[in-house]
Amino acid sequence: MEKKVSALSVRGIYTGYDRADVIEDLSLEVEEGTITCLLGNNGSGKTTVIRSILGLTPPRAGRILFHDADITHLATHKIVRLGLASIPEGRKVFPGLTVEENLRLGGYQEDDKEVLLARMQKVYALFPRLEERSTQLAGTMSGGEQAMVSIGRGLMGAPKLLIIDEPSLGLSPLLVKENFRIIQSIREQNITVFLVEQNVRQTLAISDYGYVLSKGRVVAQGSADTLRDNEEVRQAYFG
Amino acid sequence: MDIGLIAQQTVNGLMLGLIYSLVAVGFTLFFGVLDVIKFSHGDMLTWGVFTAFSVYLGLTLIGLAAPVLILVIVALVAMAAIGFLGAAIAKVLIIPLKGAPPLNTLLITLMLGTVLRESIRLFYPDGANPKHFPALLPDWSHSWGHFTLRFDNALMLLTGLLMIVLVQLVIKRTKLGMAIRAVSQDEETARVMGINFNLVVYVTFAIGSALAAFAGVIYVLYYNELSFNMGLLLGAIGFSAAAVGGFGNIYGAIVGGFLFAMLQSIGAAALPFASAYKDVFAFGVVIVLIAVKPTGILGEKETERV
Repeated sequence: MEKKVSALSVRGIYTGYDRADVIEDLSLEVEEGTITCLLGNNGSGKTTVIRSILGLTPPRAGRILFHDADITHLATHKIVRLGLASIPEGRKVFPGLTVEENLRLGGYQEDDKEVLLARMQKVYALFPRLEERSTQLAGTMSGGEQAMVSIGRGLMGAPKLLIIDEPSLGLSPLLVKENFRIIQSIREQNITVFLVEQNVRQTLAISDYGYVLSKGRVVAQGSADTLRDNEEVRQAYFG
Repeated sequence: MDIGLIAQQTVNGLMLGLIYSLVAVGFTLFFGVLDVIKFSHGDMLTWGVFTAFSVYLGLTLIGLAAPVLILVIVALVAMAAIGFLGAAIAKVLIIPLKGAPPLNTLLITLMLGTVLRESIRLFYPDGANPKHFPALLPDWSHSWGHFTLRFDNALMLLTGLLMIVLVQLVIKRTKLGMAIRAVSQDEETARVMGINFNLVVYVTFAIGSALAAFAGVIYVLYYNELSFNMGLLLGAIGFSAAAVGGFGNIYGAIVGGFLFAMLQSIGAAALPFASAYKDVFAFGVVIVLIAVKPTGILGEKETERV
């Protein structure tokens, strides 16, 4: 059996805005090379977990390690420099920048033009549509195309770990399916994926391990198969 | 009205338009990255001019006699000093106030402007009185009938236009410019891309402030006079130009600057009242324009900024 290496380790964090903690004593591990998911309803604190990891809302207590480096109180751009990228909820493309500029921003940390060009070619191979539209302003594209820009932008940093926040939000079922297929192919490029979703069924179908979040706490965890069969999860999420 | 007079007014209008545009670009850059209006911007221009004047006096004192060389040094030192001051103000006063109501930033910079202005009046030697700034460029000129084109004016216009083109290129073509635009559109996502937000803000404030100093040097070469409160009206005009053009839009700021100068020229030369009313006329039209189109002529459609 392969040796397990932790890509991301969240240890007992408490995070909140102003005074109230949204996340309480939350711990989770993302193993290298896996797709690990965090499931939860609206308001369960998923986004706050991501904000804590990315240093946008640093935790009040607890620690976050990324490949054994303590990133708990690091500035966001320094965390990103270590090899952590994210595809934010709602895609968040830069509407007034062209598709190409959006992609280049994804590789902002990389100064080598050749390397960037090679990565851009890879993204264009994955999404030929983006190459056709490389000079178009991202804000004028359809939701599905913006999702491609956002995913491509996340890949441009050639991250070790990619955090994907609600990729299925606001997309048609067909596009959702397509998105999940792409996430699977990302893992094949040796990028560890931390997937945050509401869409339980499809998420568990491609994940290795999962956590279920409710009211800021982990209420269940296990391999994707176990979670699928877990009675609590079934009742809470599968209806 | 004869052609010569029209040509003379055009050159004058272009010169003023250039100066206003340079000030307005600063306002629009600051608004872009941080959504703030920095009301001390005009007084930064004044500080740039007084820095330039002091450096000029110093260089003359040590016996440097080449006027063009003096001018180059004077302009560069003023831009560097004010650029640095702008970045320092961003770090000490403006970034810490991020997250506070925008009104606080507005008030703080308004007061900072007063402090900058009054400290020149009180502490600069004989600071309360206007001073003469020497013509450092050769006084060659060429006349066509009633129209005289001065070489120094042409050179200043050209340099100023090059500066605007340069800023435009930096914003549109460089990695730094891309980061500035990204921050302007979505600060948080820009951070997540690995952009050092604070650094981008400092650099943006340095660029905007250095442009104000540059505009000040051109202004003082054109009018050959400086005073502690010269930045007040220039700041107000630059602000109006940025507002008319549409905040956050660089092209808008440039268009707004030239538009304001054009209105002043029309008010001074073409309308049947005394030229002292030219500012009243220009600001009046600005009020009407903003009332008709509150987002500015090139107003942002949410997607376009910087």
